[in-house]
Amino acid sequence: MSRGSPPTAFAKVVGKKWEWAGWFTVFTPFLVAAYYTVVIAWCFCYMIYSLDLRWGANAEGFFFNNFLGLTSGPEILGGIRVPILIALIMLWFFIFLILYKGVGRIGKVVTILVPLSTIFLVIMVIRGLTLPGAIGGINYYLTPNFSALLNYEVWLAAYAQVFFSLSLAQGIMITYAAFLPKKSDISNNAFITALSDAGTSFFAAFAVFSIVGYLAYSKATSIENLGIVGPQLTFVTYPTGILLLPVAAAAFGIIFYIALQMVGITSAFSMVEPISSSVNMKWGISKTKATAIVCIIGFFASLIFATGSGMYWLQILDHFVADFALVIIGLIECVVLGYIYKLYRLRQHANDVSDFRIGRWWDLLIKFVTPAILIFVLSFAFYETIRAPYMGFPVWAILVGGVIPVIAIILLSFVFMKIKGKEIEA
Amino acid sequence: MSGLSLSAIAMLIFGIVVLYGGLAYFLYRAMKSQKK
Repeated sequence: MSRGSPPTAFAKVVGKKWEWAGWFTVFTPFLVAAYYTVVIAWCFCYMIYSLDLRWGANAEGFFFNNFLGLTSGPEILGGIRVPILIALIMLWFFIFLILYKGVGRIGKVVTILVPLSTIFLVIMVIRGLTLPGAIGGINYYLTPNFSALLNYEVWLAAYAQVFFSLSLAQGIMITYAAFLPKKSDISNNAFITALSDAGTSFFAAFAVFSIVGYLAYSKATSIENLGIVGPQLTFVTYPTGILLLPVAAAAFGIIFYIALQMVGITSAFSMVEPISSSVNMKWGISKTKATAIVCIIGFFASLIFATGSGMYWLQILDHFVADFALVIIGLIECVVLGYIYKLYRLRQHANDVSDFRIGRWWDLLIKFVTPAILIFVLSFAFYETIRAPYMGFPVWAILVGGVIPVIAIILLSFVFMKIKGKEIEA
Repeated sequence: MSGLSLSAIAMLIFGIVVLYGGLAYFLYRAMKSQKK
């Protein structure tokens, strides 16, 4: 409708004084990109390490001590890890190359990376499922535990996962939408995007759990005893499983980490594009210059996560971005669209250009259901944070690494709104 | 462990029908409306 970047969209569609909300939506994914790129850099390093399966029998010790050089706490930085630094330089330069000519190049890169990563995924699933013990992992994955549905934390985690996975409230959809043809079928595209995303995750889990099942079988232990959460799964459990593969272990490791990088890179540049487009559109700075500035700042911001204490800072910032910043943006978007802007006009616009018609149920979701869930999520996160310091980190580290960055981007959003610009359209 | 449990098979079918069936349906509608 607005055919502009998120700040322009908020200013044009809702009102000039809401432009800050648009800036907040583009700063947040940029903050995520700062540490997300570090995880992709880890994948790059592990792709190289797969050549000689360098982690050996002690994947945990290799990851935390040899590779990350993890210090005893966030207060001891421990210096920048050179392999991660090199991977970060290449990665940010790659992001710049994809973005500096505008979204046209993103489309081309995605049409190569997405099918390629899907092929790699199929290879991994086939290989995983043909291993002994794989079926145990699949049983673990697919056997439902209906009593978990009564646990509200499961619902909160699921809601947060869907929010993050679909890149909601990150300005990404608004930015990409600005470049779509005017008559694009909005509703159908939304359903296809959501179902493809969930379908890919559902399928990818077969690659993960088959290897986990194989590892449990090989070590004659139960899956519960293996670490299958967060970085532990990708950089400790999975490498251990790869090491035990009877044939072509190195090739499998390389394919796995390449696939992760490809999936990660497509997400990373979508996190950087909104702010790059917003700066370009608001001040008329050339796309090349805007992208270069953003990528250089992003690179320097990510250096803290490449240090020996980077893992701690990453965990703190990720918690505050995912549990606070994204939820606050989602809430602001629901309130602004549901109560300040006339929501039916947005639905009417979608219905005018779409084959599939959306009913009034959508208004109810935006006005009542989603805000209610988000308020609950936010209150719960707030309560948890006050009750005990997150993961036992010192309060000063939580303030510096999580609270201050989120408050800073909110303040910066108001500053950017106040600076005069010369709006240009996509 | 000899094979998938019944409940796991049920979830597998549920996942396939909802996710890939739904995706196929919306892709079909998208292609149909593009032809018009």
